[in-house]
Amino acid sequence: MDQPYEKQNPAVYAIIAMLVLMSVGPVILMLANSFKFDVDIISGASSFFFMPTIQNYETALCDVLWYEPDHLDFCGLKFGGAFTNSLIIALVSTILTLVIGSMAAYALVRFRFFGRDTVSITTLMVRMVPPAVLLVPVFGLWNNEFCIDKNSLVGGLIRDTFGGRGDVCLAGTHSGIILVYVAMNLPFVIWILQSFIVQVPRSLEEAARVDGAGPFQVFFKVILPLIKPGLAAAAIFTFRIAWNEYLLASALSDRNTKTVPILIVNNMSEFNVEWGVIMATGMLLAIPPIIFTLLASRQIITGMTAGAVKG
Amino acid sequence: MATEVTSHAKTPRQASAWINRASPYMFIAPAVVIMFMALIYPLGYMIWGSFRDWDPSQTIGEAEFIGLKNYVTLWNDPNFLESLSVTLRFAFLCVSAEMVIGVGLALLLDRNIRGMSVLRTMFILPMMIAPVVVGLMWRYMYHPTVGTFNRFLEDIGLPKVDWLGQNALTSVIIADIWQWTPFIFILALAALQSLPRSALEAAKIDGATAWQQIWHIKIPLMMPVLIVTALLRLIDAFKVLEVILVLTEGGPGLSTEILALRISRTATEFRELGEAAAMSNYLLMILMLLTVSMFAFNKLQEIRAARVRMIAEEDA
Amino acid sequence: MLKSLKAAALGTVLMATTALANPYAEYEGTTLIVNFPAHPHYDAVMQILPEFTKQTGIEVEVDQLPYLKMRERQTLELAQDEGEYDLIAYVVFSKADYVYADQLENLAKYVMNPKLANPSYDADDLIDGYVYNIGFAGGNKGYLEGKTGSLFGVPYGSETSVLGFRKDIFEKHGLEVPQTYEDMLEIACKIPELEPGMGGLASRAASGHHASHAFLLHLAPLGGKIFDDNWNPVMNSAEGVAAAEALKTIVDCGPEGASTFGFGEALGSFLNGDTAMFLDTTVVAGQIDNPKKSQVVGKVGWAMHPMGVRRGSQTGGFGIGIPANAENKDAAFLLMQWLTSKEGDKLVALAGGNPSRFSTHADAEVNAKFPHMATFGEALQHADPDWRPIIPVWGKINADLGTTLSKVLTEDLDIQEALDGVAERTKTIMEDAGYYTWQ
Repeated sequence: MDQPYEKQNPAVYAIIAMLVLMSVGPVILMLANSFKFDVDIISGASSFFFMPTIQNYETALCDVLWYEPDHLDFCGLKFGGAFTNSLIIALVSTILTLVIGSMAAYALVRFRFFGRDTVSITTLMVRMVPPAVLLVPVFGLWNNEFCIDKNSLVGGLIRDTFGGRGDVCLAGTHSGIILVYVAMNLPFVIWILQSFIVQVPRSLEEAARVDGAGPFQVFFKVILPLIKPGLAAAAIFTFRIAWNEYLLASALSDRNTKTVPILIVNNMSEFNVEWGVIMATGMLLAIPPIIFTLLASRQIITGMTAGAVKG
Repeated sequence: MATEVTSHAKTPRQASAWINRASPYMFIAPAVVIMFMALIYPLGYMIWGSFRDWDPSQTIGEAEFIGLKNYVTLWNDPNFLESLSVTLRFAFLCVSAEMVIGVGLALLLDRNIRGMSVLRTMFILPMMIAPVVVGLMWRYMYHPTVGTFNRFLEDIGLPKVDWLGQNALTSVIIADIWQWTPFIFILALAALQSLPRSALEAAKIDGATAWQQIWHIKIPLMMPVLIVTALLRLIDAFKVLEVILVLTEGGPGLSTEILALRISRTATEFRELGEAAAMSNYLLMILMLLTVSMFAFNKLQEIRAARVRMIAEEDA
Repeated sequence: MLKSLKAAALGTVLMATTALANPYAEYEGTTLIVNFPAHPHYDAVMQILPEFTKQTGIEVEVDQLPYLKMRERQTLELAQDEGEYDLIAYVVFSKADYVYADQLENLAKYVMNPKLANPSYDADDLIDGYVYNIGFAGGNKGYLEGKTGSLFGVPYGSETSVLGFRKDIFEKHGLEVPQTYEDMLEIACKIPELEPGMGGLASRAASGHHASHAFLLHLAPLGGKIFDDNWNPVMNSAEGVAAAEALKTIVDCGPEGASTFGFGEALGSFLNGDTAMFLDTTVVAGQIDNPKKSQVVGKVGWAMHPMGVRRGSQTGGFGIGIPANAENKDAAFLLMQWLTSKEGDKLVALAGGNPSRFSTHADAEVNAKFPHMATFGEALQHADPDWRPIIPVWGKINADLGTTLSKVLTEDLDIQEALDGVAERTKTIMEDAGYYTWQ
């Protein structure tokens, strides 16, 4: 970027401006609509000159507000709870994926279990599995096989502590959803991190070893700090999938573990297309990814190119 | 006594040796356990289940074994075949359109100009936002009366378009193009910018026009990256579900019912887990074919590159 | 010991205030977990539940889901040994699945229990057709009224179809409110000419459940059926073709984009003033009078579902029942009884729900608040409990029918050919399910 910018044909700038508008436009439209009354949205009042209202956000967030909005007869939408679930699931699965993935990537690079080709083939094979394919088996396993009998020691303990009924199953718990997300994201994370770990000079590790550090200390104290950019990129991609995923979460969650995408799809229910409220919930779901995009676009691009080009 | 002392003295060293020897396995074990539990085993379970007449209220053990019946039923089910063809059309149309637009834009905008970093940042946005939200934004914009597009058409005096009715598949593809063209654009741009400057300079000196440079130098040199990108996108296109679910729920008729959606409907709405599992297997086989062909292509490229290098060395 | 003392003390307090024994005392403090649909009637129920808690001391936690999702959730929940839900609302067509799989409690043992059953409940006041359609199983054909049947649920949120029309538009052009199908179709196609930009009749038509529902809505009044008395599919009869043609005419003369309308979009276009008529469930009345959602407040009149060869409006809505794997079955019965009692039915009607009792439809206070209630009450009595079959394999047939009809509407498939195809596939499904074993 040291070179001075070249002078360009104005048409090029026009194209760039148009592209920016096209990619941001729908989001801005959604933002504007989320501050409108349904009547205004439907009647087609002007897109940008209208009386803004926060009523849609009040409806969406009614279960976490400290006051009761006047326009609501009862609080039907439990958005706050779903948002918390989404946060827990996305954060925990991101952290777990990163820790487990970076360890595996390290082992694969340094100890050479298989050739790199085998690893990349497996990674890609796994990467191609669509979530829809996992729907049936995961649904069956999480509900029937991955269960602890409630009369057993552990099962009884869990039922006594957390309440609930029936055998203790993975389905309907945060852990159940997290487990799927970690498994879904691991191949990609391992793949990205490998390309970063390869670049860490061996001499650094050997120096640490001479100082008496064990393999785990070497890994956590020497390797991890050096691959921070890779970790950041991997974290964003993992978080994005865990935060946005709908299908498997909807099959595995129960009334207490619903995530935001499920809530939005449910809210598109046929009896009331309440555009304003739906746009508000959509906007709330989109906020974290938008923040990431604005703050860390460089890491995202790094991750994308590392994940794709070297794949 | 003496032996005991020595063994005491030995233990820490033994332990550390043991840790050293075992550490590779300890590093990789968690990943293996999780992948096995939540990916490999479920896939096996699915294949097993696809041979059964399986209702969601049964456990797999209770379901009756019916051999290949689910697979045969599907082959004779016109709805499944239509859904398969919709999936293939969706995936290939999306990816070709995205490749053309994405690479075209990259070639056009591969310049050192102000505003590029803003464009790149903003361009990532559609990819980062939840597919569910993308679906709902487009569903609003496509709305026959309230939606942005028809309002606009009306304002400039053109007839309205029945976006999600008569033109549902096209509309769904447009939404996907909006979301994923940036992916190809960014990768193509990265590939362009890492091209060897010398080749381009040489061409310029030889007096090649801009078009000649693009056709004879840039595109051939980018080809390996482009093909990998296209295949990655293709694999992802088979995973699309949420956008279509929110936009059309597969309708009208079956015109946008891609396989992923049909699997989910078969499992939850028609309550035929066995058939859904068989369908998942068909989908998996298609994807497997794609991935294998991608690897074969990659290997081929490597071999050709190696041969070229060898010839070059022999010449030298 | 202490607890029972406390309960006794509370009991005395209540006795002092109400001068009655408190049959709820034993269940005070219990929390019931119930599964209700996200649906206008149950939104009204949400408003009256606090009253139940106040009267009885029983807490209620509601899990509200869109109704197709609700069904998926229940399929899973009811199959467990011990389920989470104490009381569920179910869609009419789920009745067959649940009862067949032994997942709903037979209500006899609760009605017989003098500690639970309220003597002033007056079950005869519940509208007959709905009790049989929604709550009854094991009668004629397995799902209709009959001597071998018994009660597994109580109708709650009874809907039928009525014709809503724009009084102002009809007056402006001197149109008569249609009494027959011919009139209705004629007017539906006249409207776009009289009022440019306005559609005739808003109907659901989207692929799947929506299109199938709209077809069935016309099938019964036009004299058609899905099955004859021997379970042979006859939706491809002349009457079936007429019903599909009616649907196609309605969609063609309907508002912009009508072929993709789900229920929400169809209602939305009526609320927005884009269509002159609306033929669907009674559940919408509350929204049409709500100025926050509707641009046609006060402009809408209601009439009976027009006649074809006979009267035959839909029977739809929800029932509530107790899952066989529930934890607090007795308390759940008390809630169910309270909700469907005269008092509960009236409360929910006043909150904008769909009452299921004759007395509520005749109630002066309810009629004063909702003038359309009398028409709706009359319509309910013409509702046809056999307008769609409620058998376990219906889900599959319904999906096929809905997808095929959507193709008729958007891809101009030949109607007779399309319905013949559905009939043929239905025959196979029925064969596999064993319906022809005795023939």
